[in-house]
Amino acid sequence: MKFGASATASPSTYTPAPNHRFNVGDRVVVKRSFPPGHRRTPYYIRGKRGVIERICGAFPNPEELAYGFDGQPRRVLYRVRFPQRHVWQQYDGPARDVIEMEIYEHWLEPASDQAGGE
Amino acid sequence: MYAILKPDETRSDGERMSDKPINKGPHDMGGEPAGAIDTTDHGMKFWEKQANALRSTLGAKKIVRLDELRRAAEDLGELYYKLAYFERTTMALRTMLLEKGVITEPELHAKMDEVRARFDVPQAASKPVQKSGHR
Repeated sequence: MKFGASATASPSTYTPAPNHRFNVGDRVVVKRSFPPGHRRTPYYIRGKRGVIERICGAFPNPEELAYGFDGQPRRVLYRVRFPQRHVWQQYDGPARDVIEMEIYEHWLEPASDQAGGE
Repeated sequence: MYAILKPDETRSDGERMSDKPINKGPHDMGGEPAGAIDTTDHGMKFWEKQANALRSTLGAKKIVRLDELRRAAEDLGELYYKLAYFERTTMALRTMLLEKGVITEPELHAKMDEVRARFDVPQAASKPVQKSGHR
């Protein structure tokens, strides 16, 4: 199965996310940004390219909740699929292996077409 | 099996990131060498049950949030690795209760002195247990 092919499945939405920027199947790149503070995006995935697997919903921003604020406006959360070989330089498992991670919209940018998911 | 794998740290400009990544929290250990995993069930000590119950109650009453407790734990820095799980979460709870003004430092110390006196614990043995080694 081609990487990202299951993105044609209907999106599973846990909570409404009316104003989502990305759609299922969109190629995205995680921001290569290293701000201080409580951040919900693991270090090793920053700068990596993946494909939107589903839209999980919109939730109060945990990066604001962590400091006592109300987390509004809500942020759209996506499940993003990354090829393991893209994420880990020395990955020696099958090329079809992926890692899926839930990432908030403000950590994602549209990816250019040439290098979306190998 | 992949414990020694390093994330691809080659930047778009061809530079390598430094050995000490900027603003990387102690909790953010994905891809780092893990070592052996201790799968022994150590159970919960009495104080751990009490601390956990207090944390759950304060969370349920929305006095502290999980996100705040996580942030306070991450801010422990190097201490994060030296503390056991419930010591970490209890330190985080302490930070949040002080930060929110639910308790004050003098009140906390007065109460700790009172509890110590109740159990007649020698001062030297009453410091939090610090594990040797990394994690």
